[in-house]
Amino acid sequence: MKINRTAEVTWHIIFFAAVILLIFPIVYALGMSFKPLEDAYNNVLNIVPFQSTLENYITLFDTLPVLRITLNTFVIATVATIFKVVTAFLAAYAFVYFDFRGKNILYFVLISTIFIPFTVTMIPNYLIVSEMGLLDTVWGVILPQLADAVGIFLIRQSMKNIPLSLIEVARLDNTGHWKIMKDIVLPLVRPAVTSIGIWFFISTWNEFVWPVLIMKTTDNYTLPLALQMFISVEGGTNFTVAMAVSVVTMIVPLALYLTFQKYIIGTFTSSGIK
Amino acid sequence: MKKEIQFEHVKKSYGDTEVVKDLNFTIKEGERLILLGPSGCGKSTILRMIAGLENITDGNLYMNGEKMNHVPSGLRNVSMVFQNYALYPHMTVKQNIVYGLKVQKLPKQEMENRLNSVMEILQLRGLEDRLPKSLSGGQRQRVALARATVKRSDFFLLDEPLSNLDAQLRESARKELVKIHEMFNQTIVYVTHDQIEAMTFADRIALMYNGELQMLDTPDNVYHRPANVFTAKFIGSPSANILEADYRNGWVHTGNQAFEVNDSWKEHMNKQSFDDILFGIRPEHLELSTSPMSNGLEGRIKYIENLGKSCSIYLEADGQEMIAVSENGSWKQGQSVYVRPQSDRIHFFNKATEKSLGHPAERTETNQTIEERRVLV
Repeated sequence: MKINRTAEVTWHIIFFAAVILLIFPIVYALGMSFKPLEDAYNNVLNIVPFQSTLENYITLFDTLPVLRITLNTFVIATVATIFKVVTAFLAAYAFVYFDFRGKNILYFVLISTIFIPFTVTMIPNYLIVSEMGLLDTVWGVILPQLADAVGIFLIRQSMKNIPLSLIEVARLDNTGHWKIMKDIVLPLVRPAVTSIGIWFFISTWNEFVWPVLIMKTTDNYTLPLALQMFISVEGGTNFTVAMAVSVVTMIVPLALYLTFQKYIIGTFTSSGIK
Repeated sequence: MKKEIQFEHVKKSYGDTEVVKDLNFTIKEGERLILLGPSGCGKSTILRMIAGLENITDGNLYMNGEKMNHVPSGLRNVSMVFQNYALYPHMTVKQNIVYGLKVQKLPKQEMENRLNSVMEILQLRGLEDRLPKSLSGGQRQRVALARATVKRSDFFLLDEPLSNLDAQLRESARKELVKIHEMFNQTIVYVTHDQIEAMTFADRIALMYNGELQMLDTPDNVYHRPANVFTAKFIGSPSANILEADYRNGWVHTGNQAFEVNDSWKEHMNKQSFDDILFGIRPEHLELSTSPMSNGLEGRIKYIENLGKSCSIYLEADGQEMIAVSENGSWKQGQSVYVRPQSDRIHFFNKATEKSLGHPAERTETNQTIEERRVLV
């Protein structure tokens, strides 16, 4: 009992430290965003703003079409996520349950694209998007992100854990593939699909390099680009406004998380198939 | 059209490995056929070919008189119970059972009726809303059986359905299967490696080995009239004795000893042609004695296995090993004993082909109809 107790306390200290480490920057950013700039420079380590002000947010909303930018980011992240998840699910289903010529080679090629750095495809993608006349549009950002090998890989792994006999029973009932996907496979791989969806959404939401290449006008910016406007070398760095952008950037993912919290937590703790 | 399944030169191979070799036989309407054999003999593959879950490499498969080689599983009028039960883990018992009926868009009332009747037969009342993970092994097995039953298909396939149950549950599950079969009279194909299941449940047994059909006959004939050495050894426990022997003028010589067969055997053997033979006798058909017997062989007890109700006695006679069974527990290791084969229970096989040389008397049971035989079971 004594040992257990010690272990328990130790673990709690570690967890507590981890939570502090994760929470601190967020609270710090939140505090900063309500400080006047001078205060931010004078009391760097102070989390709580002494003279709180909405000045930073007013500046932000005056300089940039924040709602429009948030909407851009939301559309890009949502559409890309939906497409990536759907294509990954369909491709994974085909790789697991269909037999076709060249399946293994195709899968190998697909998986190897995971290891190609973004910088390699960046220029060709840019040229293609530009050629298609999609520069400075939401679709220009979305288009190269409609499919993702990582998603196919992870969903396929999860599907392979489903005993094949479940699918065979359904086939004996003359169940079509769409129905098998919807009624049997999807419910059983939902934890994988949900976590991959969250991952896709967050990574697209935070994406910087690709949108910065495609988007030219401020109206088409995404939130990470807006953040960059206030910490650029040329314009001089305005930390407090930048922190206000950070806070705005945080709002949508956080709201989504709080809305679906119960469901998401359930996803990660559910025991899976067996 | 008759609810028959017919194999015509059916072959199945994976690359260069032939797992089913030239299969030719017919499964009769409404019969309970057991596909029996050791692991890897191809029996499950045959079942899966009937279900349409495996392609047929060569030959033809007919069901209801129609060629089925390329007909998709869902259109074969087949239901199947899998060894792992294959219950949908995210659906309740009720949802599991009716899922297939929903796919087939059965009217709601009919669905309810079938569900209710099967819940009754298989004693699943009260479990409707439970998930498979909260059921015991026996309950899961019954749900799987219920799901296959509600389809009311002509063909009912079972792939080792009882192998995950303990001995007592197996017995009651077998009775349930019989009950279901009597109600719906499907053509049943049942895969197992358990000869007790096969002997008790089958109308006919198809014994498989190495992708080849060894024998297809009633349990009685498979036991009493094995067609070859493999069948003789596979069926029965302990396994049948197969000895190297010579047959000369009515005498069977094994090593330095010999015994004489009866007149009907002599007459029968005179009609057969063979070079070397193997002599076969089941342990339970050997008389065992401490004193010399006419037509007996002498041996020495090497080892005794006590099974409670009886003992298996391992003997050595002239360098060949034999097993006998005795209900008497007074035997001692190293003891000298005499064994005498019951003359109407002996078997001879051609050593080269390992095929049976036949038997002087046909068994009367062979002519029984399925229904007559079932009364005996």
